[in-house]
Amino acid sequence: MNRYKNICLKLAQAALLLLLCTPALFAQKVVRYDLYVSDTLVNYAGKEKRAIAVNGQIPMPTLTFTEGDTAEIVVHNQLNESTSLHWHGVFLPNKEDGVPHLTQQPIKPGETYTYRFPIIQHGTHWYHSHSGFQEQIGMYGNFVMKKRDEDKTFRKGIDDLPTVPLMLSEWTNLNPNNINRMLHNANDWAAIKKGATQSYVEAIREGQFHTKVTNEWKRMLAMDVSDVYYDKILINGENALELKTVDGQTLKAGDRVRFRISNGGASSYFWLRYAGGKMTVVASDGNDVEPVEVDRLIIAVSETYDVVVTIPEGGVAYEFLATTEDRTQSASYFIGNGIKQLISPLPRLKYFEGMKMMNDMMKMNGDLDDMGMNMSLNRMDMNVVMYPEITGEAGEKVDHSKHGMDTNNDANRYDANALGDIVTLNYAMLKSPHNTTLPKDAPVKELKFTLTGNMNRYVWSMDNKILSETDKIPVKKGEILRITLYNNSMMRHPMHLHGFDFRIINDQGENAPLKNVMDIMPMETNTIEFLANEEGDWFFHCHILYHMMAGMNRVFAVGDYQNPYLPDKAKAYNALQMESNMPHFMIQNDFATNGNDGEAMLQNARWSLGTEWRLGYNAMHGYEIETHLGRFIGKMQWFMPFVGFDWRYRKMGIDEHETNLFGQKNEKDTRRAVSLGFMYTLPMLVNFQAEVYHDGIVRLSLMREDIPISKRLRAGFMANTDLEYMGELRYIITKNIGIRAHYDSDMGFGGGLALTY
Amino acid sequence: MKSISKLVMVIAVSLSSINSFAQIKDAETATVTIYGNCEMCKATIEEAGNVKREANVQWDQKTKVATLTYNSGKTDPDEILKRIALAGYDSENFLAPDDVYAKLPECCQYNRALKPTGQAEAAHAHHQAASPANTAVENASQLQPVFDYYFSIKDALVKTDAPTASAKAAELVAAIGAVEMDKLTTAEHTAWMNVLKGLTANAERVSTSKDIAKQREAFAALSTQLYELAKVSKQDIAVYHQHCPMYSNGKGANWLSKENAVKNPYYGAQMLTCGETVEIIK
Repeated sequence: MNRYKNICLKLAQAALLLLLCTPALFAQKVVRYDLYVSDTLVNYAGKEKRAIAVNGQIPMPTLTFTEGDTAEIVVHNQLNESTSLHWHGVFLPNKEDGVPHLTQQPIKPGETYTYRFPIIQHGTHWYHSHSGFQEQIGMYGNFVMKKRDEDKTFRKGIDDLPTVPLMLSEWTNLNPNNINRMLHNANDWAAIKKGATQSYVEAIREGQFHTKVTNEWKRMLAMDVSDVYYDKILINGENALELKTVDGQTLKAGDRVRFRISNGGASSYFWLRYAGGKMTVVASDGNDVEPVEVDRLIIAVSETYDVVVTIPEGGVAYEFLATTEDRTQSASYFIGNGIKQLISPLPRLKYFEGMKMMNDMMKMNGDLDDMGMNMSLNRMDMNVVMYPEITGEAGEKVDHSKHGMDTNNDANRYDANALGDIVTLNYAMLKSPHNTTLPKDAPVKELKFTLTGNMNRYVWSMDNKILSETDKIPVKKGEILRITLYNNSMMRHPMHLHGFDFRIINDQGENAPLKNVMDIMPMETNTIEFLANEEGDWFFHCHILYHMMAGMNRVFAVGDYQNPYLPDKAKAYNALQMESNMPHFMIQNDFATNGNDGEAMLQNARWSLGTEWRLGYNAMHGYEIETHLGRFIGKMQWFMPFVGFDWRYRKMGIDEHETNLFGQKNEKDTRRAVSLGFMYTLPMLVNFQAEVYHDGIVRLSLMREDIPISKRLRAGFMANTDLEYMGELRYIITKNIGIRAHYDSDMGFGGGLALTY
Repeated sequence: MKSISKLVMVIAVSLSSINSFAQIKDAETATVTIYGNCEMCKATIEEAGNVKREANVQWDQKTKVATLTYNSGKTDPDEILKRIALAGYDSENFLAPDDVYAKLPECCQYNRALKPTGQAEAAHAHHQAASPANTAVENASQLQPVFDYYFSIKDALVKTDAPTASAKAAELVAAIGAVEMDKLTTAEHTAWMNVLKGLTANAERVSTSKDIAKQREAFAALSTQLYELAKVSKQDIAVYHQHCPMYSNGKGANWLSKENAVKNPYYGAQMLTCGETVEIIK
């Protein structure tokens, strides 16, 4: 492997430093790590791509401490960009929390920066960059804090098992900045790669035409459980790994191993399954839970679970399989020695069943309707309708339906554990071994957040406000914060709180489990609570990287914290707000036989500056440019008022219409006009645009782009009251290239190459 | 140089693989034993292994030996064998997932020589087949088969599966007849005599009916009798006595289960987790 040869020198340096420093400092219980962050090239999926390695490796090195130690972590930034490291789930002074612009200044290129904090807890945690999209390209690592042997909570048979840290992550050959841009532009390349386009042809083939029409009527794009296509899934940086020995001991029948599993993926949930039988979950997010046996569990983005597996037989290596929630990719870990016992891959999702379910849940106004099911704690998973292993293969009905029962009124129809023999972990099954109740006399501050968003423009928010539209939320030190979250968006969100563990209120009473990430599914309502006894600005956000960068964040400002690293906190907060609402750019142009047809757009969460052009090759075909500056209104962003400017020039030619539908005379030969108008998304995702020009001329138009005819074929049309019209067909070849044929009333028939960025 | 070596390679390849896999570049071959039975196995194995221009598998039904021809720059035998194992066929490197093997057509259910035959295997077979005959151990209680078939009926009712419930009930009737009363303990014997008549009648009612509602009615009575037996009969595992308050217009009904988690046989998926454990019999 010559993957990291350019930095192996650095690695040697680091190793030397570690060797020199660690033993000397160990006596004082200061555990020091030197981390050299540098660019590297990797080849995980057939192409050499840029990644970031720390001490020459991906994932970053596992940092191990024992409760009571002091951590001293020295970061050497050898990148050409700034960086930061956040200690996920770790209790520490706010200034060590590692969120650039919130708890510290970004670590500049070339800078050396020291994090130092006492280790006052134990458990499986992890660490990652909190700067830009660095987490996607390698900056994640395990952070393990061991219990002291004399710890009163030490569990014989669990805490003394051999442990192996497992860092799950995903790799894409695309630049994450580009992924982010494509998500915001509703580019469906990822769906094509995954075979999840859900086009009309596919719908008709599966007898789901009605479902697809209803779906578009309700203004929804094709649904999926995740948005990004990944090329490889990695466990500890490899797609397939073998575990034959632990701590020098060869694994044999009956041996038990404790995995400390962290999900360092930027946007992937993973199903965890084991070919050797049931798994025992013994901790979550670093906090012990009463052991619970399951057949499988889903690990949300940024969660950690401690799972004990047993090797049932000698001579066999059992597969531990991590599969992405969309089931397109997986990574294997073989435990034991000998022939490899595989576990069957999870069958493909029944997308149209999911679409049907979404149709039922989605009201016309874009709100979700849980139909009185009071969903919470991951117990009801709407997605089970898409899981063939639980609800049967597509097209075949589940057993009980043929007995004439009304399955639509079945209270359990989304409860995976009730529907099948497979036991799936959910938050109701987590129970702390200890009493976790908060002080009775502390004042309680109740907060409610509705998680909001819309897929079409990829805007993710809380109470329909992104970070840049909100101030920090003031909290008194010593208050209990009780937060009720309701997910009114179509995606699940792993909500993560910095600096604290919270209780997830379930039926375990005093023994409610402690976590710092709570996955919340669409339509669920969950309550969490914690004692805000540590001053500082603590981030609370969705841990799906692309949702976080879209602004799905809040800050709890506990007490009046003076951060020595941030003398001007207001200015720093502005920088943070700005970074969470970065503008994104798209441009496309069709180089056609009859002219150039294209558009360019610069957008952020609320604003859109867009220009469309139709440039003929001669004056008879004409030249036409329309520019709009608009603001999206409302949660679903269906409504956008705008100001516009049109310029066109044409020698009278084909398809002359000097008057419009309203009898207004409309000079086309040369025209410069300012307009006021609005765009509204109608059912079937048809855009209705109305504008009035300064000379009183009115123009109404209807248009629809990207009608998914088949997996790669898209259609579109436009018609307006100037009696102009256009129809197009586009065949997608790659994410940037398509072949387009269209007929335009101004320019006639044209065929060409459509390039998109 | 490069072009010459390429040319040599092309010649070598086209010579070595005369017909069907001429399109595979950098071809290497390997032979491996893949377990299977019949023509159908051959088709499945080869289809799973083959990838256009990348891998070609020829499996010999008699010798069980497969010849793998593959593009060494693109893939390796492990990848090919993994695909074949995921289609249900064991080889030296991989064991097929148990559920995939179980779904193979009967003629393809080859003898899994590579699978270890320890307790896990037995436990698994038990789990999968859920066939009481396998679990009846010689020296276990005479009543064991009666309980086992009862649980099978209950499981069928949980799934609202009338045909299976009926079939299992027929087997229960047979099992009741097969109980050798002189081998029962005194307490068991007394209880057995008390319930025998009702037990047989109710089991027959379940077996002869195809109507799930009637079956459930009979099952409610059957459960009461089984409970009497369970109280006196030594079981090696805990039995959970569970209660559904809603059945029969609020009169309620009980049943026995091997697990604490409630799966209601009276309503099935309609109200699967409705009910509670009222007693644990050990």
